[in-house]
Amino acid sequence: MTIAQDVLPEWGHDAVLSTLARADAERLKAFAEPLIADLPQIEVLENRTGLVMLPMRDTAQGTHFHLGEILMSEARITAGTQDGYGMRRGRDLEAVMAMAVIDVAVALGVSTAECLAFLAAEADAQATADHDTLCRVEATRVNMETF
Amino acid sequence: MAYVATRGGERAIEQSERLFRAEMGEITPNRVTEIRTAMPYLVDRVMGESSLYDEDLAALALAQTGGELYEAVLLLRAWRTTQPRLTVAEPVTQESLFTHRRISAAFKDIPGGQVLGPTLDYAHRILATDVLTGATFQPVPVDPASTPSPAQQPSVAAWQAENNLLTAPTTDTAIGNDIPDVTREPLLFPAKRAHTLQSLARAETGGVLALGYAAQRGYGQAHPTVNELRLAEADIRVRHPCGTVFSAGRVKVSQAEVVSKKDTELGLGFAATLGWNEVKVIAAATLDLNAHGAPKGSPTEEEFFLYHTEGVESSGFCIHFKLPHYVTFQSSLDAMRDAKAKRAVSKTDVKPQMEPAE
Repeated sequence: MTIAQDVLPEWGHDAVLSTLARADAERLKAFAEPLIADLPQIEVLENRTGLVMLPMRDTAQGTHFHLGEILMSEARITAGTQDGYGMRRGRDLEAVMAMAVIDVAVALGVSTAECLAFLAAEADAQATADHDTLCRVEATRVNMETF
Repeated sequence: MAYVATRGGERAIEQSERLFRAEMGEITPNRVTEIRTAMPYLVDRVMGESSLYDEDLAALALAQTGGELYEAVLLLRAWRTTQPRLTVAEPVTQESLFTHRRISAAFKDIPGGQVLGPTLDYAHRILATDVLTGATFQPVPVDPASTPSPAQQPSVAAWQAENNLLTAPTTDTAIGNDIPDVTREPLLFPAKRAHTLQSLARAETGGVLALGYAAQRGYGQAHPTVNELRLAEADIRVRHPCGTVFSAGRVKVSQAEVVSKKDTELGLGFAATLGWNEVKVIAAATLDLNAHGAPKGSPTEEEFFLYHTEGVESSGFCIHFKLPHYVTFQSSLDAMRDAKAKRAVSKTDVKPQMEPAE
């Protein structure tokens, strides 16, 4: 099985998946839909909602403990011999299926240029949103004077 | 405690539920969206206490219960049981948090500096009554800085450890399903630390505050100073079937460390929860700081505060008292009447004592 990193080495599989997981749901679905026609027969192995437990490390004693569970949606598909996977926050089963479709498409080298452009646009939107948030946060930085 | 099966009241029960729901009217997707966007801190509180993170579900639970928080949390805890657990994410670390607010009351110049983030700490508490006469309250927008705050901030505790103010902890090797989980195993005492911190993470805010406040007022062994308080977003790092670890999104988390002098070092208390709820984590960290060596039955004793801040159990136990207790109460009445009757008989049986002169 190939993974996105083999096709888009400059991205890395983790960056592809992380970007898709935070991508706008409607844009994600709209982009994935036409890719299906160019992929081998898709078999859906899993498309469901469920919970992911989120642990945290305690800074006082170093203990790992559970903060609580998060509602997630998950999709596992195969297209020929290639596996595709998606996991996103929330209960949008179509969006997570779209993520799995794009994961497969990238790994198989289907519409690579379009996938790359989509990923770049989404990553850019996410980076811009984070930048704007952090600029607003920076406005609240305290510069204390001591008398 | 005894119970008796009774019949009747079906119509009254049905009508009473209708009466409750009639006050709130229709629940529409718009109402859920409005609650989610207009009351993020309430939604956060409900998600933290229910130990289930999804803003839409929390807003729906609030809409469905008319804001009755205990009912909303119970609804979400119940709904949670219908879902499978897909996986356990990688543990979140303090240094990896996408930080919106980070302050310290212990040190002015902490590494990375202090950012207030979103807070009403320094706001005038003035009710915008003009809104009730038709005006719109328009918040003044933030003037953003030209450069962003660093997304990740260093740990104050790690800096203190480097300066020999406290001992750096060793990292737990338990990950995934090996981390103790109070939703799958009983809470026993002395509690595993993972159980204590998980229980505090899902504890009821008011309960934690009441007991934490008691400790802060002097009914504890240590007076807390906030070492570091963070409101942040944490990545949910999960594993693709091929082994790649990636972020499947972010959730809001709050985290507090409190310190107190302990012999020649600082003692550190810690708490964190899902959602942004800083009162809860400061109070919970205070309880954690005070738990070691707390007298039995005191508010800072682990068993005491963990049992009494579990909101679903405590509210459930409290409201069960309004359900029919006819047999137990009749039994009490019978015992009372019996005692009264015996007392009356014993009074009549006692022969008046004769005075020697008589």
